[in-house]
Amino acid sequence: MARRSFKPESTPRYMQPQDFETEVTVLLAEYGKDHGVVTAPPIPIDDIVEEYLKITVEFRDLRAEYPEGDVLGGIYFQEKKIAIDLSLVPEDFPAMRGRYRFTLAHELGHWRLHRHLYLRRAGERALLSNLPARPDHVLRSGDSDRKEIQANRFAACLLMPREMVKRAWHEWRGSMDPIYLDDLNARRQQILTAEVLRRGGFKSGDDAEENMLLEHAARPLAETFEVSPDAMRIRLEGMQLLLRKKEPSLFE
Amino acid sequence: MEKGFSLRKFAQLVGVSPTYLSQVEQSNVDPPTADRVRRMAEILGEDVDELSALAGRLSEDLPEIIREEPKGVPDLLRAVRGMTADQLRRVREEAERIKRDEEN
Repeated sequence: MARRSFKPESTPRYMQPQDFETEVTVLLAEYGKDHGVVTAPPIPIDDIVEEYLKITVEFRDLRAEYPEGDVLGGIYFQEKKIAIDLSLVPEDFPAMRGRYRFTLAHELGHWRLHRHLYLRRAGERALLSNLPARPDHVLRSGDSDRKEIQANRFAACLLMPREMVKRAWHEWRGSMDPIYLDDLNARRQQILTAEVLRRGGFKSGDDAEENMLLEHAARPLAETFEVSPDAMRIRLEGMQLLLRKKEPSLFE
Repeated sequence: MEKGFSLRKFAQLVGVSPTYLSQVEQSNVDPPTADRVRRMAEILGEDVDELSALAGRLSEDLPEIIREEPKGVPDLLRAVRGMTADQLRRVREEAERIKRDEEN
């Protein structure tokens, strides 16, 4: 979260997991009316943001503009503008396509879920418009307040709509059976070696190896949905299609 | 983009990089070449001259037109400078009438 002079007092409403699916279904239905129904992945995130919602997208050197943080994207509510860091532009950095799409969808999440919290105070802000332009909301790696979490969930649901994921899973696997971590353990060393080579490194942390195994399994669908393997892995875990333990979960 | 193209799609159609096109939109770099402006106008269905002017570029045919009559055309342009769009239209219609009469 950026340090801002006019941080709105209001916090966003609490949202159930189902609420995000609903928000996304509504948005896709609105988009589908004029631009053709989206029936298969990948979700046309650029078109939804720019052509349908008429939000301007700018590619900028945000990391130079905001040296105090690792900023990848930002939204300016009044100007109706989203800025994305140059390091994510897929035409220049094809490996960043998934991150680009997720960042754009994340900022769109702020637009759909949180803009009323900002525009309500637009009058006050306009009085002080001689201040340097700061985005109302920026995405940094590792951000985690409630608005950020909500924007991430929105982005995940939008880029990987539940029903489309189910269908893709079924087409790929031939059934709705989940993949268990144990299933991957048989080829553990082989998978880990391949993943480390592919990533050019190893992320440390408690779950790093487990995540890598599961992300390896998520790769085919990540390609289909044009998201990063970790975004796909998190979505599939949330949908109980990738599971760390054999016991059925009591949640969701 | 106003006309219903995303930045990346439009860049692809014009044949430039999206990062470059975004810098153009933000006025961070010089405007595109006359050729590219023409291409953009065609894709957007906009008037080439108008878009060229907005981009600070002249349509390619204009320098040639001026060179063909290096005294008369600049004099004419200076004379009509400051006229309203409607006055200009009347001048143009008059010019077309004169050309037609001369031909007949």
